[in-house]
Amino acid sequence: MTTLIDDVRGWRHDLAGCLHACMATLLEHRGVAPLETLGAAWRFRHLPGDIRREEYFYPRAPGESLLGALAPYHPVRSVWHSPADAAEGWAQVRAEVGAGRPVAVAVDNFELPFRPAYRDVHSNHMVIVHGFDEDAGTVHVLDAIPPHFHGDITLRQLTASRDSGNAAVHDRDMFFTDVHIGNRWLSVELDANPEDFPAFDRPHIRDVVERNLRGYHEPAQGDGYAGLDGLTAFFADMGKRLAAGETVRDELFVVAGAALANTAVHADWLALAGRALDHPGLTEQGRAVERIAHHWSAIRIMAALTQSEGLGAARFTRRAHILLKDLEQVLAGLAHEGAEL
Amino acid sequence: MRTQTAHTTPTRLDLTAFANNTGITTEDRLSDGAFNIWGNTFPAEELPAGGEITVDGIPFRFPAPAAGAPDNVRCAGQLLELPAGRYDWIHVLAAAERRTEDFVQLHYTDGSVDPEWLRISDFWPQTGARFGESAAFSCTRLHYPRHVQRSMGPTIWRQRVPVTRQRELTALTLPDNPAIHVFAMTLAPTTPPEAAE
Repeated sequence: MTTLIDDVRGWRHDLAGCLHACMATLLEHRGVAPLETLGAAWRFRHLPGDIRREEYFYPRAPGESLLGALAPYHPVRSVWHSPADAAEGWAQVRAEVGAGRPVAVAVDNFELPFRPAYRDVHSNHMVIVHGFDEDAGTVHVLDAIPPHFHGDITLRQLTASRDSGNAAVHDRDMFFTDVHIGNRWLSVELDANPEDFPAFDRPHIRDVVERNLRGYHEPAQGDGYAGLDGLTAFFADMGKRLAAGETVRDELFVVAGAALANTAVHADWLALAGRALDHPGLTEQGRAVERIAHHWSAIRIMAALTQSEGLGAARFTRRAHILLKDLEQVLAGLAHEGAEL
Repeated sequence: MRTQTAHTTPTRLDLTAFANNTGITTEDRLSDGAFNIWGNTFPAEELPAGGEITVDGIPFRFPAPAAGAPDNVRCAGQLLELPAGRYDWIHVLAAAERRTEDFVQLHYTDGSVDPEWLRISDFWPQTGARFGESAAFSCTRLHYPRHVQRSMGPTIWRQRVPVTRQRELTALTLPDNPAIHVFAMTLAPTTPPEAAE
């Protein structure tokens, strides 16, 4: 049997990773606009203890799906499927793709011949599968993360990557190793027809801006760090722990990566909204949010250097302070522009 | 009467004393450098051998790669003393680990200090310029510590920073942003009519 689902396109944002890329592809295939959906919500949230060693990490509350956490203003969610073994893992993906639904699968880069990490570095990555040829023993894979790949690999290779133990072998296996890939795969579920999704119009855009502002300004609900106060507290905690000689690299790096992606994609959403409404002030705020993303680029690298180069608390705290001050300005600017909508 | 140093040709800066990161390696010594936190490096074979070069008509002093020796400045707030003079632009050859932007602080002989933006796009392959830079060097392959990836290559960008104050520039402070790496820097002299003031 041979199946190839058409109209499966790659999507990539230079400051986001495989999670945004895969979710965008799956949403677009279902007729849902990716940036309008994935870029709407902008918030800070970190739940200590919820650091998962996967490139597709994104903070999510208990019971919340990965896609639901990315796009909480839209009727979308994702479902993790955890088959018992590799055979069941392929049977499930085969059935889904055979039914015309592309899926995202968790993989270990170490086993994928098109990844630079092939036979070199283990890492918990995510790619799209949208076809297979049982006579040839191949599967059709899309990976929008450089080097962009859209083609066939053998089912044996895909299975090895999905069933990998993802072992930490050497010092380059940072952040996303040492957790079994487990043959998991992710499906996207729409809880409304795409035509019933929020229109990308003035009321929706105003609502999104208001909800994001409330999220940053309201006290956090439950455990963890959230909003502007939560981010301030998180940075203070990181600074204290760094000054005390604790290892904060992994936690800070992973949190910064998710915040960077969320902030950068939202910046593009604001720019798109500003153009759609012919509202230059909103586009300008998009650029200001982009500046916050660029702070996160610096924080992320600083996190890694806390261990390899002994980057200390003073440098980190100074950068964090500047980010917070700029963030306060951006939130004030968005409040002004939101009121103008 | 005003006294000032009149530079009529671009001034290539020698950044050797500030180099603190090895971002360029040869195929036989892949693990000698680590431009980014993953240990990736630019292929020396696809970059200038070092010395005076010209990019887009602008002269630069490009670092000479030497096994394991630092060849770029990873920004950490370093203060660079400059040949005092009136300049219009600071041209840089740089690359970033994920795109980022930050202020450089420009110091003038009259004691004034201005922040100006330094904006650098990602060095990562298949990633375009997001700040309108031009690609100074686009490589075809990327070095990993234990192999050469020939399916994609990184980029060094040519970017510029404006010198807006019409006074003598004497120094600049780089941002404390380790995502930004500077390989070369050139000061472009003020053009008429300002130079004749």
